[in-house]
Amino acid sequence: MSSDNSESALSDYGIYTISEKHEFTLPNIEIKIERIGEHVFSYIRKDAEDNILKKIIPITSSDLTIELCPIRPLNYPAHRTNHVYLDFESPIFLSEDSAATVFVRCPIEVGIFLVHDGHKDSLDWFTCDPLNSRFCLYGTPESGTLCKYMNSEIVESYDDSIPFQNAVLKIDIKNELSRGVTVSKIVFPITGNSIYYKNSKAIVDSLTATFKKKLTLEIIDVDSIMIQTDWIKSPTYEQSESIKHMDMGVD
Amino acid sequence: MAFEFLQSLADIEITGGLTLLSLFIGGIIMGVGIIIARTIRLLFTKYYAPKLPQDTAKNFGKLIYFGIIILSFLVFTSTTGVDFSGLLVAGGIFGVVIGFATQSVVSNLISGIFLMIEKPVKQGDKIEIPGSDVTGTLLDISTFSVRVRRFDGTIIRVPNESFFTSNIRSLSSTPVRRSEAIVGIAYKEDIDGAISVIEKQIRKSMAFVLTLPKPEFRISALADSSVNIEILVWHPRDDWDQVGPTLLKVAKNALDGAGIEIPFPQRVIWQAKE
Repeated sequence: MSSDNSESALSDYGIYTISEKHEFTLPNIEIKIERIGEHVFSYIRKDAEDNILKKIIPITSSDLTIELCPIRPLNYPAHRTNHVYLDFESPIFLSEDSAATVFVRCPIEVGIFLVHDGHKDSLDWFTCDPLNSRFCLYGTPESGTLCKYMNSEIVESYDDSIPFQNAVLKIDIKNELSRGVTVSKIVFPITGNSIYYKNSKAIVDSLTATFKKKLTLEIIDVDSIMIQTDWIKSPTYEQSESIKHMDMGVD
Repeated sequence: MAFEFLQSLADIEITGGLTLLSLFIGGIIMGVGIIIARTIRLLFTKYYAPKLPQDTAKNFGKLIYFGIIILSFLVFTSTTGVDFSGLLVAGGIFGVVIGFATQSVVSNLISGIFLMIEKPVKQGDKIEIPGSDVTGTLLDISTFSVRVRRFDGTIIRVPNESFFTSNIRSLSSTPVRRSEAIVGIAYKEDIDGAISVIEKQIRKSMAFVLTLPKPEFRISALADSSVNIEILVWHPRDDWDQVGPTLLKVAKNALDGAGIEIPFPQRVIWQAKE
């Protein structure tokens, strides 16, 4: 994607080559990138509360190439956890020995990466939905897990994400217990899930959640599964975590 | 030539069987011991210490170093053939005297050993000793004392004995912490309305306050001039500074914005009718 225009509607995710000036309009965020010298660009981001972030970007090439893409929702207001807590607006009931597949919304943040010499370096990150970017605790204050919280809606398909605010996550839920169960939340380490984008939509690697009995305890075994898609995979700069598995207690 | 020189050293007796030659050999043994001790400590620090907790690594390093030096000394004494029994008797008496004089030093040493075994807190933890002005980050637990970097940037040294026998409040051993504040509203105001506006403002402006557990509101007192509302919010353990000091400001702004009165202390005086 190459651009010199200074006006645009809501931008799309993607790789942009900027030769003079470009403005991105995202929900609650405005970004302005412009050339200020032969090999120097300025980057200015303004949020809804008029907080301004400015950076100077010296480059070796003649044009500036950046990638605007969805990233994992772990950085705002600060990186404190790798876990995400999806609190379903409508709990799902599964009868014994049954299975279901649901699509739910999962929070994201937006990353801007500087593309040069085959590398992608993180230039900036932000959230377009700061009021809903909050922490919560799964478990007790003594030994619980700190998570990023989202009140998550169940949607119909991968196309139902809200641009720049969330992505869609597919969850295969299976009940191996000998009784019906209600799923009202899911907690998982999102560092095991990649994010993919197309235009202004985003999706996340899917999850499997299996209700099972472990000795005398009933647990939900949550695993990440990589999806096969033609959507573009977002770069990441967080340290990936080997834990792709989470055991939750059954309510 | 060298042999003759050594022979001459062997002929010079310093005291009860201790010759200059044996002292010379002892010096070599001690020197080699120190070199070995340093080398092993260096190898330990480089290859094994990074896998251990910092405190444990440091103490193991000291143990290895001084252990080898003591071992070298024992080898030195056994090779010289000197009878140290007289010295031991004198040392025993001297030790009793020194023991009385250095009671607190020994006490700190023993407390330090127990602190290292019990590990009530570890290096890097944020701690508070209630009733004292010691609040900050634990830097290290060494042989005689504990060092704490206070939140004002200064470092305070606490003797191990005092630290061991104190109540220690760990501020960072759980994933979350709770902060509290009390704000008073006028008796004429709607309590639920006031709680609602404070809750909305906290949700809007305090990014570190946890959504779950939800902020909690309690009526702490029907006080002289106001109805006191206690606000309890949870936040990640390392972000107290983003929540604790600003909670009252957020509550006041919310109440001001909604036109809810925060009363000054007041007294109503009734005059009897004449």
